[in-house]
Amino acid sequence: MSKMGTLYAPGDSVFHRMDGSIKMLLFAAWTITTFLFLDLRVFIVMLLIGTILLLSAKIPFRQIRILLWVMIVFNVFNTAFIILITPTYGSELTGTNTPVLNIGYNTINLETLFYVLTLTAKYLTLLPVSLLFIFTTHPSKFASSLNRIGVPYKIAYAVNIAFRYIPDIQSEFRGITNSMQMRGIGFRKGDAPFTQRVKNVTSIAIPMLYSSLQRIEVVSNAMELRGFGKHKRRTWYAMEDLRAMDYTVGALCILVTASAIWLKIGVLSGFWYPF
Amino acid sequence: MNQKSIFNFSTLVVVAIGIGAALYGFLGFFGFTVGPATWIKPAVAFLTIFGALFGPVIGFLIGFIGHVITDLMSGGGVWWGWALGSGLIGLFSGFVYLSKGFNVKAGAYAKKHLYQIVAFGFLGCLVGMGEATIFDVLFMGEPLDKMLVQFWGAFLSNIVVVAILGLPIILAILRVNKKSTNLTIEK
Amino acid sequence: MISFQQFSFQYQKLTEPTLRNINLEIQPGEKILIAGPSGSGKSTLAHCINGLIPFTYEGKIEGTMTINGEPTTGKSIFEISKTVGTILQDLDGQFIGLSVGEDVAFSFENDGIPRKQMREEVERALTTVNMLPFIDQSPHDLSGGQKQRVSLAGILSTQADILLFDEPLANLDPASGKQAMQMIDDIHKQTGKTIIIIEHRIEDVLEQPIDRIVVMSEGEIQAIGTPDEILASDVLRKHGLREPLYIEALKYAGCELSTADKLAQLNNMRLPKFEHALEAWYESAAASTEVQNREPLLDVQNLRFAYDEAHEVIRGVSFQVHEGEIVSLLGNNGAGKSTLSHLIMGIVRQTSGEIRLQGEDIRPWNIRLRGEKIGYVMQNPNQMITQHMIWDEVALGLTVRGMSKEIVDQKVEHVLRICGLYPYRNWPISALSYGQKKRVTIAAVLAMEPKLIILDEPTAGQDYKHYTEFMEFISSLSQTGLSFIFITHDMHLALEYTDRAVVLSGGEVIASDRVASVLTNAEVIERANLKETSLSMLSRMIGLPSAEGFVQHFINYEKKVKHHE
Repeated sequence: MSKMGTLYAPGDSVFHRMDGSIKMLLFAAWTITTFLFLDLRVFIVMLLIGTILLLSAKIPFRQIRILLWVMIVFNVFNTAFIILITPTYGSELTGTNTPVLNIGYNTINLETLFYVLTLTAKYLTLLPVSLLFIFTTHPSKFASSLNRIGVPYKIAYAVNIAFRYIPDIQSEFRGITNSMQMRGIGFRKGDAPFTQRVKNVTSIAIPMLYSSLQRIEVVSNAMELRGFGKHKRRTWYAMEDLRAMDYTVGALCILVTASAIWLKIGVLSGFWYPF
Repeated sequence: MNQKSIFNFSTLVVVAIGIGAALYGFLGFFGFTVGPATWIKPAVAFLTIFGALFGPVIGFLIGFIGHVITDLMSGGGVWWGWALGSGLIGLFSGFVYLSKGFNVKAGAYAKKHLYQIVAFGFLGCLVGMGEATIFDVLFMGEPLDKMLVQFWGAFLSNIVVVAILGLPIILAILRVNKKSTNLTIEK
Repeated sequence: MISFQQFSFQYQKLTEPTLRNINLEIQPGEKILIAGPSGSGKSTLAHCINGLIPFTYEGKIEGTMTINGEPTTGKSIFEISKTVGTILQDLDGQFIGLSVGEDVAFSFENDGIPRKQMREEVERALTTVNMLPFIDQSPHDLSGGQKQRVSLAGILSTQADILLFDEPLANLDPASGKQAMQMIDDIHKQTGKTIIIIEHRIEDVLEQPIDRIVVMSEGEIQAIGTPDEILASDVLRKHGLREPLYIEALKYAGCELSTADKLAQLNNMRLPKFEHALEAWYESAAASTEVQNREPLLDVQNLRFAYDEAHEVIRGVSFQVHEGEIVSLLGNNGAGKSTLSHLIMGIVRQTSGEIRLQGEDIRPWNIRLRGEKIGYVMQNPNQMITQHMIWDEVALGLTVRGMSKEIVDQKVEHVLRICGLYPYRNWPISALSYGQKKRVTIAAVLAMEPKLIILDEPTAGQDYKHYTEFMEFISSLSQTGLSFIFITHDMHLALEYTDRAVVLSGGEVIASDRVASVLTNAEVIERANLKETSLSMLSRMIGLPSAEGFVQHFINYEKKVKHHE
């Protein structure tokens, strides 16, 4: 985690220069499109496009690698989970049943295996554009971008406050847990029996809560004294004018989402199973 | 915060949402694993507390924004269904704030409010986790039977947090805030 | 400009008024210091001026208050903030933006100023405070002094005529504090704005010219006068405030002070009048007692540490702490003070070197094992207190060690008695004052029966009276053989209460000596962002043979005086 509280990695790609609100739109369009389908062909196309986009942002691979692993581990577990609990779920979608492996209480069939492959592809499809969004958007741009896409500025500003104070809360948390450990209060497995550890965790909550309440008071005074909430609108230092590229990508996002919906209704409505 | 209006977005409210979301978002990283795809997330107790302190709308926004922040910072994409679920837990946790005669800052409460905290807490977990389950079935195309197992895991671990972390902490705060009378200097 | 007439204020939740019968006129362009101990009402007065009272904190107002001849009642806090700009004590609370530029722009954003104009104004404001090169930095990369400069830029940009500084020195190291006062003075001279400073560190504020001092205590104004008038009287001492050290020295030397002596600034003072008395006082100094050779308790040898390969933050540090000794760890921000304490506590491990406690290498000890021998007390007691009742808080560390209830009760009772908290044993901690809470955190650490206690800024947030009480308590503990390390920016504290100072700069020990000697060494002072005390300046000005000897005599003398009181 960087000092800014997010994973932002500075750079100078097309996506670094793109307006935050447009990236939000892209993120939304991509997510909605993925949600619509359960079709491996769609996901393969999207995964390819997504990977190219991600590569073009030139994010250091070192930073992405661990996230990729997390996603893979998640998918392995999720897949195992589905296969064990609902070994014949695929049949419910296709109406056919091609047994593959007997696991005692039931038989895993080909339809289900193809289904989990599709689902894994679906989860993976979501990844590149969310990474793109997270790694190329400076936290300063979040609030103004939210405001630009129509979120009331007071709620948008709350997001700014959250990013501003996460590092402070983090270092405070470290200080609190260190001083507690010095007094012999453990939080990790092996430090104390489970019930005692639960009690110990409760003990962190009290100082964290009280210092947060105090912080709320101080920050709200500071903002009030500097005129926050004076008018119905406010401007943003971090906001920049939209450029031609931003409009193009924005329009493209809307177009793609619309065609995805048309595709979903008209052509690729259900689960695609080629066999 | 004198008028108990739900939509009173004063500066204090904006900051409370921001700091609350930062706290929930940061603490969301910590959890005990108790089973496959199920972990106890102690941060949920803060939704119970902030809900009781600031009401349902702030509770909702803290849960939702905070969860999205956890997801953004961990980098694996945003789990919108579960983020909304956190928001719903926050929303339900805030209903006790609207109840007559309940005020955390003044330490004002009756026994029925404690039942309400538990009841709304459980209801919030039910609705929130239920919503997240349905969301994954509808939008991700996950099998319902498998999601039901996950639902029970998430629901049970969240109500455990509400009951053994959230409630005792609020109770302790209420007791302390209740005007400390009979404070005598003992020899 | 600002006028209070028969003004009183009572917070809604309190039964007594916090401000009583305030009558005060502040003239346009005046630079005024409002001083008072904790609970004197000085912060409440500040809230009345900037409008937080009555808009955020409600209560009952009697009498009138006007700004620019207009009563503030009926105005919104936004209207008031156009006239009064406030810089809060909490630098992180005041710095709201995610970057320097954003924070300065905050008021412009709220006013809906177009972006292009905003950028120009922000750059102009940052130039005034010499912070333009930092425009894209995040607050987490800035020191306290730099954050304060940014806040000042943000306030200057609003064109407010009155600038209100709430304890501007509270979170700064000595050299940054000096720069801050200098900058405030520059702005005062350039713009002619009215400046109101709320502080209890009077000596540091008076380094720059001040027009008048308002002394507050118990909700009332006790005295208003020019610095010369206030310093010549004993009103500060009477109301629990600390006089500048050189004034104390003059008084100890038996000098008669009068308003005509230009006491406010050491450089302008009518020194010849006092020379004779000071010399006589200096000569009366008894030969200083030699510190007897005690056993080393903590022995740090050639310690090295790096967070990553490129930046070594602790570079071969060696020092000792003896039994019953109080050592201060001084140095600028980023010198490695907190990393060093983390190494001792086992939060991080050294790359090379040794830490020995009572002769034993503690490298293999984990954080909890070290915690049984070394106590650590954080600066802010609110971050340490985890329980609601005093008794439970002190018992916590013992209970988790699995001691039986009888033994725990016995130990807790003993510790509470030592700390003077026994009468409050059944109180909720929230009912205690800040200083009492600090004592609870010490008690909780003492209960573990450590050999050494590390205190991070032990006196922060305490006024002189509480500071003295607290430090006398700590000294009495050291008499029992307990050792202490203070991590501090407070030069007075180091001088008066510590036996030795270890000065860090750039991860190295640049001095380890008696405090009086360290604080009279110009090179050490410069490198570690410390500040020469007014005592050593005074002794240089009258040409005494040894500044260190003079400072040491002052400390010894003051200790005697305090113990007689």
